[in-house]
Amino acid sequence: MLNPGKILLCIILLVSLAACEEALEENPKFMVVENFYNTSEEVESAVNAIYSPLRANNYTVYETTLECQADYAYGRGSWTPLHEYKGLNDANINRVAGLWNAFYLSIRNANLVIANAPKGTSINQADIDKNVAEAKFLRAFNYFQLVRNWAGVPLRTESNMTETDLRKSAPDEVYALIVADLLEAEKSLPEKQSRVGRPTKWAAKTMLADVYLQLGRYADARDKADEVIKSNLFSLVPVQSVSDYQVKVFGPELVSTSEEIFYLKYTRQVGQGNYMLWITNHPSTKLFSFGGAYVVYGFTTEPFYKNWDNKDIRKALWQPVNIGLGANTLISSKFADPNAISQNGAGNDDPVYGLNDVLLIYAESAVRAGNSVTAAAMEALNKVHRRAYGQAPNSPSAVDFKIADYTAASLIDLVIQERAYEFLYLGKRWLDLKRIGKVKEAIKAVKGIDVADKHLLWPIPLSELNFNKALNPATDQNPGY
Amino acid sequence: MKKNLLTRKMWGVLMRVSFLQLLFMGFLASLTYAVDSEAQLLEKRVSLNLRNGELSLALQQLEAQTDARFVFSPQVINSAKRLTLKFNDEPFGKVLNKMLRPLNIKYEVSGNYILLNDAQSKPIDSREFGLLSIPVLPIDLKISGKVTDAGNNEPLPGVSILVKGTQRGTTTDQNGRFSIDIPDQTAVLVFSYVGYKAKEVAVGSQARLDVSLETDTKALEEVVVVGYGTVKKSDLTGSVAQVKAEEINSFPTANPLQALSGRAAGVQVTQNTGAPGGGVSVRIRGTNSIQGSNEPLYVVDGFPIFGSNPTVLNNADIESVEVLKDASATAIYGSRGANGVVIITTKQGKTGRTKVDFETSYSQQTLRKKLDLMSGQEYATFYNRQAVNDKLKPYFTQDEVNSFGEGFDWQNLVFQKAPMKTTSLNINGGNDKTKFSVSGSYFGQDGIIKGSDYNRYSLRTNINHQVSKKFSVSLSNTLSRLKTNRRDSDGGSRGNSMISAAVSAPPTLTPYNEDGSYRILAIAYPFVATDLINPLNFINEQSTEINANRILTNAALIFNPIPELTIKIAGGIENADDRTDSYTTRNFFNSPGRASASSYQFTSLLNENTVSYNKTFNQLHSISAVAGFTYQDFTTKTLGGSGNGFLSDITETFDLGSAITPGIPSSGYAKSVLVSYLSRVNYSYADKYLLTASIRRDGSSRYSPGNKWGYFPSAAVAWKVANEDFLQNSPNISELKLRASWGLTGSQAINAYATLNELNAGRTVFDDAMYTTFSPGTRLPGNLKWETTEQLDFGLDLGLFKNRLLFTADYYIKNTRDLLNTVILPSSLGFTSTIQNIGQVQNKGLELSLDSRVLTGAFKWNLNANLSINRNKVVKLYAGEDILGGNVNVVVINDVTSILREGHPIGSFWGYAEDGYNEQGRIRYKDLDGNGSTSQNDKTFIGNPNPKFIYGLNSSISYKGFELTLFVQGVQGNDLLNVSSIVNTMDHGFGLNMTRDVFLNSWTPENPNSKYPLISRNTNARVSNRFVEDGSYLRLRNIQLAYNAPVEQWGINWLRSAQIYVSGQNLLTLTNYSWWDPEVNSRGGGNSTAQGIDWNSYPTAKSTTVGVRIGF
Repeated sequence: MLNPGKILLCIILLVSLAACEEALEENPKFMVVENFYNTSEEVESAVNAIYSPLRANNYTVYETTLECQADYAYGRGSWTPLHEYKGLNDANINRVAGLWNAFYLSIRNANLVIANAPKGTSINQADIDKNVAEAKFLRAFNYFQLVRNWAGVPLRTESNMTETDLRKSAPDEVYALIVADLLEAEKSLPEKQSRVGRPTKWAAKTMLADVYLQLGRYADARDKADEVIKSNLFSLVPVQSVSDYQVKVFGPELVSTSEEIFYLKYTRQVGQGNYMLWITNHPSTKLFSFGGAYVVYGFTTEPFYKNWDNKDIRKALWQPVNIGLGANTLISSKFADPNAISQNGAGNDDPVYGLNDVLLIYAESAVRAGNSVTAAAMEALNKVHRRAYGQAPNSPSAVDFKIADYTAASLIDLVIQERAYEFLYLGKRWLDLKRIGKVKEAIKAVKGIDVADKHLLWPIPLSELNFNKALNPATDQNPGY
Repeated sequence: MKKNLLTRKMWGVLMRVSFLQLLFMGFLASLTYAVDSEAQLLEKRVSLNLRNGELSLALQQLEAQTDARFVFSPQVINSAKRLTLKFNDEPFGKVLNKMLRPLNIKYEVSGNYILLNDAQSKPIDSREFGLLSIPVLPIDLKISGKVTDAGNNEPLPGVSILVKGTQRGTTTDQNGRFSIDIPDQTAVLVFSYVGYKAKEVAVGSQARLDVSLETDTKALEEVVVVGYGTVKKSDLTGSVAQVKAEEINSFPTANPLQALSGRAAGVQVTQNTGAPGGGVSVRIRGTNSIQGSNEPLYVVDGFPIFGSNPTVLNNADIESVEVLKDASATAIYGSRGANGVVIITTKQGKTGRTKVDFETSYSQQTLRKKLDLMSGQEYATFYNRQAVNDKLKPYFTQDEVNSFGEGFDWQNLVFQKAPMKTTSLNINGGNDKTKFSVSGSYFGQDGIIKGSDYNRYSLRTNINHQVSKKFSVSLSNTLSRLKTNRRDSDGGSRGNSMISAAVSAPPTLTPYNEDGSYRILAIAYPFVATDLINPLNFINEQSTEINANRILTNAALIFNPIPELTIKIAGGIENADDRTDSYTTRNFFNSPGRASASSYQFTSLLNENTVSYNKTFNQLHSISAVAGFTYQDFTTKTLGGSGNGFLSDITETFDLGSAITPGIPSSGYAKSVLVSYLSRVNYSYADKYLLTASIRRDGSSRYSPGNKWGYFPSAAVAWKVANEDFLQNSPNISELKLRASWGLTGSQAINAYATLNELNAGRTVFDDAMYTTFSPGTRLPGNLKWETTEQLDFGLDLGLFKNRLLFTADYYIKNTRDLLNTVILPSSLGFTSTIQNIGQVQNKGLELSLDSRVLTGAFKWNLNANLSINRNKVVKLYAGEDILGGNVNVVVINDVTSILREGHPIGSFWGYAEDGYNEQGRIRYKDLDGNGSTSQNDKTFIGNPNPKFIYGLNSSISYKGFELTLFVQGVQGNDLLNVSSIVNTMDHGFGLNMTRDVFLNSWTPENPNSKYPLISRNTNARVSNRFVEDGSYLRLRNIQLAYNAPVEQWGINWLRSAQIYVSGQNLLTLTNYSWWDPEVNSRGGGNSTAQGIDWNSYPTAKSTTVGVRIGF
């Protein structure tokens, strides 16, 4: 016997049955990896993602961690163990683990581009090459940081990016990839980028010079640096005062400067600003309106400061501030943005590579390559030096160093010392000291501390050792951890 | 005969209602016969002096002295016979013997009725009896009276009354009254009413006939709600625990689930934090899933709701909560049944007089326990010691140290006394066609942290209407409005969250500067951690308000073509509209004014089509079956905006466009669909052998193609041993049932789209502008299928002494396989985790529960107890590899805390074993791998967050109108990882306040066996056994003294009941746990690898409550 209710039920059941399978299909309203990287715009946005892990506070933390270990600096609070040179304690082990993760996240995003862009369906070869080159430049950049601080590390490229367990590669292998990537970047990156902040051919050459210098390939370093200098595309920004440095060189409102080669770019937006200002500043300086952690400090009483010529404008960027440790305490005032919008909302860019670096790399590598003082090397050094005294960078001046006063060895020392003044607070000093093998000497001289061997490398984080089965915690961890 | 006597006895009791009896009846209707006062009656001393009088006269005298009433047929008493009797203060029974035996009259006592029978004649027939006290009247053709419910003495409207053997009949009116003409005195009236036993009453000579109907023993028997139906408790083949309204509503809780704690065996309820409206985690029979949620499925009035914690309801709305535990009960919910199912039934309308119930209560809450922290002087001394130990100049001079004294008590500043209020009004009634229940209720709780609160306003309507004989409709609607202000900034370290700041703020400092501004703690001393924020910032200058509208509505059309067949088409909507407004004022430390507003819209549509069939053949074979098809979808849409930098705090979150830097807007969408076929058959033979079998086929959109469908069958058998002949007449065993069940259930452990490799958008900067970035998240997606839990359950139900003692035991084994799990990846992959179907987990356990009526009668004592033991272990993991989880980062420690390893309990704490101190007072860790240094190879098992057993005990004593209820609940043998204490006992050197024992008992060369290491900013703390504490506790969750006014005695007709009570919650907690409270679970309930962690959670309160409950 059929009645209306039964019929209704049957209809509902039947209609539903047919609709079932269809209902179970997922139709997300977001993009997925499998159907991305097809157009130039898509690939470019994927390239943009390579920058994010670096920019998001991590590079600031990286530079600060390095800076706390410099001979002229001390770390405050949880950063204190860094200037005690006995290896990292847990707080700092954790901090560098965060950096490891950031570098590798950036590397993964680079690998995704390198692997997928060539398979794009609606992208021309030129755009593929350009974007892949940019990704390789950034991949090399990340590995350069990793290899200098951890030595051997797992070498993840587009070919093994999905292999969970990957052995540690020796530093040589890492450097080989870095150089190969940079050479390709040098070849395929444009002379000039449409947007400031993307690496150019010149950025690739600059970093190559830096890498060659690190590797002791001085002639190569010299030549690459020279190519950049000779391009005449870059010039140092002249300064007359501390505020010129704060505004015209490192200023928050600059879009770019004539000496910029590769900077991490920041702007006054929430989460898009430079975190360095919070790390650096003491609330009393009013250079930044969101307090500050005044993590890195120095002392006026130490030789580094005492021997620094008072006429050097840069010295005044190392400003006495009593942070509770007495009036002879120094805090960097290199970065200032009183109009920042939040703790990480300052507009100052992070000058990773500028012409000053290229000039000093040139000076050092040229001297080292020929083991002799050259006029070109001295001129490169003097450009940086003159600018710091308020002189026109490209014209000889009274403050110039004279060739006659220096041997190759003493000139190299002079360049290294100039780098310390020029890049104070940019995290280069510790790596320079490590590169030239003078960590122990320099620290002992200034602070009277013997640096423990294990302090020279950072520990591989537990998040790697615990889960990467190709690593043996007992033998693959850096010594002492 | 016996049954007749019983009914008569009940009737009699009701005719002479005293308050006590009413109470008696009201609470234990089914058991009155178990406590006969017959013996007492016959012991009563009486005197009798009859000189040549009629027997009836003697009976009248005796009636006057006792409560007894004599029932007899006129023939028994030969009125012509004259007697002379004299008894002085002798037992009633003896008097009766001496008086009646010579007259050849037998007597039988039933309650306070004494039936007199001619010893030779057949026993008295009810048709013939008359009451002595009512004069025997001539036959009157009109008879009237009232019909009431024997259980609660409520009038019953609509009872049909038929003169037996005729067509003549009537029904009772709204007040249960009737009037009917009868042909003669020999007429028998048949009273019948659905759900009640029909009753035949001989009219005899009475003009007025008050009848009480007993609920049908079968109907009377408790019915429990199961998936897609109900079943008599005695016919249950599975393991189901029931918690009644009275227990759920016994003390105020923000979340009905909190009221379940300790009430049902096998159900562990943990309040995650003490924040008003804070989450509650519920575990039924242990933890099954590693990746997925372990929270049960909640089904409200048949609607499987989304997520855990059904916040739509107030406790007062709930009629009962059924917890389905074994696979036989849960498999009908298929892929959502693995963690158990909690079925919540709201109050339904009942036929009869319209009832109005009003309840209100007021509670005062206070912080349950303050932490013992350093005083100002101790603080300064402590940091001087630290400075000296770290070779620095002391921070404070001795004069400064001395001047600090006790210092400022930040806990007193942050924690306050706070009220909690509940009010509810429920009106319910109906007739034989329409039944309704309408209620409005309010729950309001202020938090013990200033500024926090939780308010719920709830309106509920349930309507059932019989359209025709074959069609009926039902509608159930709940609308709730939630409004809550959060001040539960927790977790964190070094005072960068509210809770952490409340503990860490230096006692040497006050909250305000001279000029009234907030003191900036971070720069107060050079050594203070930069993270430390004045807690007043969080309290006064940061607000998060959530306003939510929740709708749960369910309608069904029910069609009964034949009585045995029910076809039900139901549709339901669950809707949540949440809006969250967060604002940080310009006055907050380093804030230019920060605003964010977000909305969350969730809708679930449900369609359920079921056919059920119930039939008994030949009075032996009883079948009930249900089959159906269901569709449910779940759609979430989110929208958020923010802004940074405001010129004024006035606009709060309501003018984001005016922000100096408007944030990037966000929005999201997710939809998943679940399609299911289900069926179940219950078969019972001779009410002795029961069989249940069910199967559900679920298809979910969330899984990878090819793995979308899963089958979830179950089967159960039960043997009602007590119904076998050999036990039928057992004097002691009133119920005995053995049960066994097996089944498969699933867990939807993943979210929508989890198998897809999603790209997340972000921003980066070139030039001075922002550009979009697209990259995958840090979780690598995988190809996934269902998790399956196979469960075996053996159960025993035993009732003794007419069910005065009810005992239930269940033993179960659950094996969960194809576990979905987050697999941590080496961070060099860029992806930090992925999900895989790996491994196997086992839970097995024993549940015992006991319901007893220890004392009945005027002085009543009910005692319910339950105890559950669960043991779980990880049986198999992918390639046997450990899974680490529960990462904590509190600066001094940033490491995993928990491990899953084959053969060990889920979520065991994993860390270093301490081995005293070295000569410098630094912690030594056991070098378990013997390599001479401390590395993660030295980690070991340092604790187990899973309790050895959990228990609950409820004792209720009543006498006259007074009731004293004690409810004790506890957890035994679990460990807690006290992350809160890491910073405030070990993170020296950053100006944070510490517990006093750190000050008193730290390492010095003179005190090398101290509790804490050398005070130094370089403490080498690790996740170690130091932070693992015994989390066992026994808590007096509620103690209540109530007085029920004897409204009946007072003759107030419009008042049905009135109760006033005072109660206390959490007044007593026995525990060795050192921090705020052992009932804590900072990481929430869903996960498996980070259980038992206390990380600066909002502390628990204790409270005292007064309240009234009135029924009209």
